[in-house]
Amino acid sequence: MAGEQLGPALPFELQPEPSSWRATVAAALTNAALLLALAFVLFPIVWLVQISLRPDNDALGYQLLFRPTLDHYRALFESQFLRSFLNSVISSGLSTFVALVVGTPAAYVMCRWRFRARGAIAMWILSTRMAPQIAFTIPFFLAFRQIGLLDTVWGLSIIYLTFNLALVIWMMQSFFESVPISLEEAARIDGCGMWSAFLRITLPLTAPGMAATAVLCFIFSWNDFFYALILTRTNAMTAPVAIINFMQYEGWEWGKMAAGGTLVMLPVIVFTVLVRKWLVSGMIAGSVKD
Amino acid sequence: MQRSVPRPAVSSIDRQEQLAYLSGLLPAVLLLMVLTLAPAIYLFVVSLTPGTPTIPGSLTDFSDPTQNYVGALQDQQFLDSVWVQIKLSVSTVIAQVLLGLGVALLLHRRSRFLQALRTVFLIPMVLPPIVAALIWKILYTPDISPLHRLLAALGAPVSSLITNADTALWAIAFADTWEWFPFTMLIILAALQVVPDEPIEAAKVDGAGPLQLFWYVILPFIRPAIVVAALFRLIDSIKAFPLIYVLTSGGPGTATQVTNYYAFTQAFNYAYWGYASAIAVMLTAGVFVLSWVIGRRQGASAYGR
Amino acid sequence: MPSFRNVSRRHVLKGTAALGALALTGKAPARAGSKPFQGVELNVSCWSAPFPKLLQTYLPEFEELTGMKVNYDTPGFLIYNQRVDLELSTKGSSFDVLNITFIYVDRWLRAGWFAPLDSFIKDENATPKDWDTDDFLPAARKIMSGKDGSLYGIPWTCDCYMAAAGRYDLVEKAGLKMPETFDDIEKVAAATNKDGVAGFLGDNRHGWNFPPYLQGFGGNVFRNPPDDLMPALDTQEAIAAADFYSHLLRDYGPNGVLSYSYDQVTAALKQGRANYATEGHIFLMPAADPDSKSAKTVRYSMFPKGPAGQFPGFATHAWGIPVGAKNKAASWEFIKWAMSKSMMMRAVTEKGYSSPSRRSVIESPEFKKRLMLNGNDVAEIYLKTIELVGKSNYMDYRIVSVFPQVDTLIGQAMERIVSKQMSAAESMKQAQSSAIANLKRAGIRL
Repeated sequence: MAGEQLGPALPFELQPEPSSWRATVAAALTNAALLLALAFVLFPIVWLVQISLRPDNDALGYQLLFRPTLDHYRALFESQFLRSFLNSVISSGLSTFVALVVGTPAAYVMCRWRFRARGAIAMWILSTRMAPQIAFTIPFFLAFRQIGLLDTVWGLSIIYLTFNLALVIWMMQSFFESVPISLEEAARIDGCGMWSAFLRITLPLTAPGMAATAVLCFIFSWNDFFYALILTRTNAMTAPVAIINFMQYEGWEWGKMAAGGTLVMLPVIVFTVLVRKWLVSGMIAGSVKD
Repeated sequence: MQRSVPRPAVSSIDRQEQLAYLSGLLPAVLLLMVLTLAPAIYLFVVSLTPGTPTIPGSLTDFSDPTQNYVGALQDQQFLDSVWVQIKLSVSTVIAQVLLGLGVALLLHRRSRFLQALRTVFLIPMVLPPIVAALIWKILYTPDISPLHRLLAALGAPVSSLITNADTALWAIAFADTWEWFPFTMLIILAALQVVPDEPIEAAKVDGAGPLQLFWYVILPFIRPAIVVAALFRLIDSIKAFPLIYVLTSGGPGTATQVTNYYAFTQAFNYAYWGYASAIAVMLTAGVFVLSWVIGRRQGASAYGR
Repeated sequence: MPSFRNVSRRHVLKGTAALGALALTGKAPARAGSKPFQGVELNVSCWSAPFPKLLQTYLPEFEELTGMKVNYDTPGFLIYNQRVDLELSTKGSSFDVLNITFIYVDRWLRAGWFAPLDSFIKDENATPKDWDTDDFLPAARKIMSGKDGSLYGIPWTCDCYMAAAGRYDLVEKAGLKMPETFDDIEKVAAATNKDGVAGFLGDNRHGWNFPPYLQGFGGNVFRNPPDDLMPALDTQEAIAAADFYSHLLRDYGPNGVLSYSYDQVTAALKQGRANYATEGHIFLMPAADPDSKSAKTVRYSMFPKGPAGQFPGFATHAWGIPVGAKNKAASWEFIKWAMSKSMMMRAVTEKGYSSPSRRSVIESPEFKKRLMLNGNDVAEIYLKTIELVGKSNYMDYRIVSVFPQVDTLIGQAMERIVSKQMSAAESMKQAQSSAIANLKRAGIRL
């Protein structure tokens, strides 16, 4: 794939803009359009956050000015929401960890060894990315009910591996490719085995890439709603599912829902800023030829 | 997939080396088998049964293996759901490509500020989908929506879009476009950045205006990227779930009941596991056929080199 | 999260809890330190109805009394049913006490997903004699009994379908009275549908709201439930009823009526934004609460008669113990506490609970007083409706194992008509064929 996504260290290559394009009017129009697009993107999010800060009796209030309060957040922390937040952290973290441990060596092999089934495995990884979630959910649900993994963070971590493992194998390959093979060869001449050369030389060089991969795995697991909706009840309920629990009898508890939504969204936004460069190649894992 | 693999210096990999490679690869391959291949086979097996928990033994009853597939083809709700799916997928892909292209062109300028701005434009796409759904539930609920209020204050009240059969699907498509146009934008932006200078310069020397420049020079370069982005959005649009679950639950009536959602209700509201599996099998097959067809049409040179 | 505030609240509660124990068992409170369920964690869930919500405020007492910790969850109706159906089908142990939803009674009990309660009820160590199971309304108990005769659920509500006019002042101004027939509904809704007030109001659970109209027109959901489950959704009567019902919603309902949940109906009535509604009474009564704008104008009546008679709906819900629950004795301890005479009485007197299931409470002067609303004797409407339900078996359509599916189909059929996607005849025909396919899928021979 072309462009900045794959090369972790490629600088932005902006092409010089011919001055004839830049009539003042055009520039002004462009800026106005950009502003409009920006408002389109940001307004809905800002609105959610401000609802979470409104006092309870004013959640649906008309006034634009109000005294912000953290009441809804406080209420969340006194409820079971905290527990579901932790469940999200644990299941996403666990799945990310296992995917890295198992997937990184495999990615290295895929990168360095040309074997016959290589193309088939790549196709396979791609097809797991394409398959609709419902196709995984039904068999996993039926299997989990037999072996008692329903409503456990373990079960959730396992199903998150279905996409995380493929993601790691794909992402890490491109990082390994950027490591000059001569470095490994030098180590092996010094008597290192293949895997010890990998551990000593290659892996440290790709540490930033690994961190980016980990963050992507975490985000994708963290964002999951569908699997958690079906595979958890009480013990392992994750934060995204807990949010819809506020659709309640006395009307929806908009304030709490907004606060919960804001809390679930914050880590993702922070992480996004960190891994922006690799976001797209993560999302299209393994499907683009280069 | 033909990555340009750096060739190892040793041309004949000895047995020991092969074993070492295998030891790194096998755990992942085995795990992938358990995680993806086994469920796929099981899904297909279940789809051949009338499996539902209220009929004992039904999960292993293979007496009429095609009943679910035959039943689905006679099920008006299922057929309708496919049509709804097509409408939603096609409209959102088109909207997202156009909007993504537009914003990408706007952002494709040399400026530190714009570079920072790009990250802001990514936010909708990385938001937890349930949060995106919640946001749009707020914006679409007349009682609390700032947009509905604004329109009412301007003397042009609009009735709820998500409870009106004529607008519900388009309201969802709009929200989906908000959520996912950053994806197409990002891919197109990346492609714009590797458009070579020479043809642009040459065209300008020939006196091409901005529109001609875009249409005849830039677009051909970025078309493969657009196709890839569209393909991905098309496939992912089939998975759209939280928006529909939170905004309409497939309603009003069945106006927004896409196939994925229908399979979900069959499997997890009524526990028709066999029937839902059959739908899931068909859905998966549809996705694969779709990506294969588009992939083949575009050929190996679809994108990049 | 432990905090000083909580600790001090606990201390205060100790006193009340001791009183509660006295009231509960009629015996001296158990010796200190003899809490057999100390440390047990109990997962309890019910859909977000008034009783489970108000019960939540008493939970600290229960925790203090028994030393258990209760994780209490009250999601919305649809989410609750979906989640619990899924959980029960796995015979999982995620929940210790669950609500047995009315329309799922047959499905859940017949499949053996709940544990019989008789062993607890008959065990004098587990349940004191004066807890009095026979006090629960027989109609509700009958529904919650299995084919083996054992009781599977302790009913906490008996909800009756009735009618309210939040803006009766507008009705009178139009020279009309509280509707007694379907024709009257039409007149009242049409006359009061103006000036920002919606003439008619109903929530989006059409599978619950539509059948009273359907039966009023002489139709039914199935041909002859529970013996003949052939769906009867495309009969002349059904189409006429669908036409009438959807017309009320479409032409007199508020903006976005198709998405109105029961709580939004209550809110709209309280704010005086809508006038006439037919609903379960628990959602209509808050219109007479002190914080309601229509407290002074609301009027109640029985659900009106249709051309073929009067068929107000009836619903009951009950606490039960899923078979997978790990500590069933602890589960029963919760149900026993939640459903004791004193607790239900306190729910009425302290929280204004309007839908008790114990005869002793229903007949108490406190409840009669509670149901005197703006000069309306709602208690009388309530008892008359229950009497009507007891006299015939027109509610049987609701406790058929496949009703939940048909319930959804009815809902979709109504939405298609109200949103003008289809005519009543077309929509009901489609519902009929979908229902038949659904029943076949569920293994039912027609």
